[in-house]
Amino acid sequence: MLRHLFKLIWNKKRAHTLLIVEIWASFMVLFGLATLIVVNVSKYREPLGFTYANVWAVQLHNNQDTTDVGGKLQRIIQRVRTYPAVESASSMGDNFPFSAYQNGSTITYKKHDVQADYYATDDNFANTLGIAVPTGHWYRSADSVGKYRPVVINEQARKELFATENPLGKIISDQYKVVGVIDNFKAKGEFMANQPALFELAKANNTILVRVKPGTDAAFESTMVKAIASQLPGWGVEVDYLTDSRKNQHNLVLVPIIIASIVCGFLLINVALGLFGVLNLSITRRRSEIGLRRAIGATGSGVSTQFVGETWVLATFAMLIGLLLAVQFPLLNVFDLQAGVYLTAMGIAVLIIYLIVTLCALFPSRQAALIQPATALHEE
Amino acid sequence: MIKLTNIEKVYRTSSIETLALNTINLHVAAGEFLSIMGPSGCGKSTLMNLMGLLDTPSKGTVEIAGQLVTQYRDKELAQLRNQQIGFIFQSFHLINDLSVLDNVEIPLLYRKGDPAGASRRALAKEALEKVGLSNRMTHFPGQLSGGQKQRVAIARAIVGNPAIVLADEPTGNLDSVMGNEIMSILQQLNTDGSTIVMVTHDEAMAKKTHRLVRLFDGSMVGDAVLKSERAKE
Repeated sequence: MLRHLFKLIWNKKRAHTLLIVEIWASFMVLFGLATLIVVNVSKYREPLGFTYANVWAVQLHNNQDTTDVGGKLQRIIQRVRTYPAVESASSMGDNFPFSAYQNGSTITYKKHDVQADYYATDDNFANTLGIAVPTGHWYRSADSVGKYRPVVINEQARKELFATENPLGKIISDQYKVVGVIDNFKAKGEFMANQPALFELAKANNTILVRVKPGTDAAFESTMVKAIASQLPGWGVEVDYLTDSRKNQHNLVLVPIIIASIVCGFLLINVALGLFGVLNLSITRRRSEIGLRRAIGATGSGVSTQFVGETWVLATFAMLIGLLLAVQFPLLNVFDLQAGVYLTAMGIAVLIIYLIVTLCALFPSRQAALIQPATALHEE
Repeated sequence: MIKLTNIEKVYRTSSIETLALNTINLHVAAGEFLSIMGPSGCGKSTLMNLMGLLDTPSKGTVEIAGQLVTQYRDKELAQLRNQQIGFIFQSFHLINDLSVLDNVEIPLLYRKGDPAGASRRALAKEALEKVGLSNRMTHFPGQLSGGQKQRVAIARAIVGNPAIVLADEPTGNLDSVMGNEIMSILQQLNTDGSTIVMVTHDEAMAKKTHRLVRLFDGSMVGDAVLKSERAKE
């Protein structure tokens, strides 16, 4: 029967061209959207690598003040640590977690270059953000005594630089000595890929990450900001809660996906309505054929199944063309994504298309099943 | 082979009730070639639909090949139609998007235990040979004359080797030459053992059958055994 349906649809391919093109276009759009979603879901499932609850980013802008900036920043962080509401404080550059800033650096080991995110932080950074250091230790001031500057890298950087070698004590870029390796560090949030990262010890940074005790309110924030402002006249002080910054980062990723989903949804509704209309019309035109099939042995449900089957065959034709194109993405390694992502996206797109065409075919096919053969056969 | 007992068929709408068949008692024996005649609207097609299990009577019983079908469900009726009955229609009802061979194969697709593709094709070719159309197998219905289309329809009706062939005005759309050709094929099928019931408006065609039933206003007004040319043979 399946072969019969394929033949029937194939022989009517010209009449179905527009519909096939519509289903093909929907498949391609769905494939694109599904790829985007699969990529982001797989990124989301990777651990962030740090905790952000109750962590505030206090950004200090020295403006015109250039006198002993480092010393002033050191004094401020020491002052902040004295507050009972503060559990831990650490300084780092502008590219603190969930911020819009990003610093990159090329790191080299045995002539192998790796592009890594670069973070300048102090020795209390891991403690403030709850970062575990499974290999080695987070750098301490004592590590700075040698010729090389102590750095910590993440697991991704370790894989790309050292593969199976033990990274501890290794010198990279002729200036850094690896003292520790952390797992993940996805500074831009859950939707960020776990890229190679390098952390370098730097004492004076203009952002202070403050982990406060749970329940600490805005009153403390105000007190702390006033104290800092009085200590640093002429400086700008800005406080961001990492929970809020994370939401903003998520929005940057989610809003385009939501917009694309809405556009895709409208496209699918259009295709569904088109398909529904074509099937309804087809049933009206094919009443005689339906009557004949009933007469020669088809049951009502058999006719209904045939119409759903024809729709599947139609969708299969369209998707075969789509799959031929889609499979080029993993083959040509477009966008540098894993083949599994594309394959999953193809699977999702295929399932959704089959689901939609089935839903569209159900009502018309039920109508077809209700056609009385005796009536249909004598209408011509 | 076909037994209709006290058949009554009433069509009802919200305002009108039409008695299409009134107390029909008819027994068609195996191997018989029966023709049904009567003016338009007298209930010929309704009677054919009941014999072909395409419709159910308002009253009375229908037996096909010894099976009382009154309580049969859609699935059982469909199987019985597929295995025991072949249909031939005035307007052929061929599927224009399928080749002649594919059209003839269709009844076999609905057969329980659906024969394999190769044997389906062999049976369809055999049926087309019987009606003299083996040279048109790859043609599409649009490329055939009316007579050829009806021969394809006959091949489709007999491909599953049914015991009964129901022909509803099979020569109605054909000229006399082609009509006679079709009639010859039907006569040959009958000689080969098929029970044939044919609705016709053509007295000459009816005279070629064994028995003629006449209907008028839903009632049987005549049932005559004919000394047809065929019977003379």
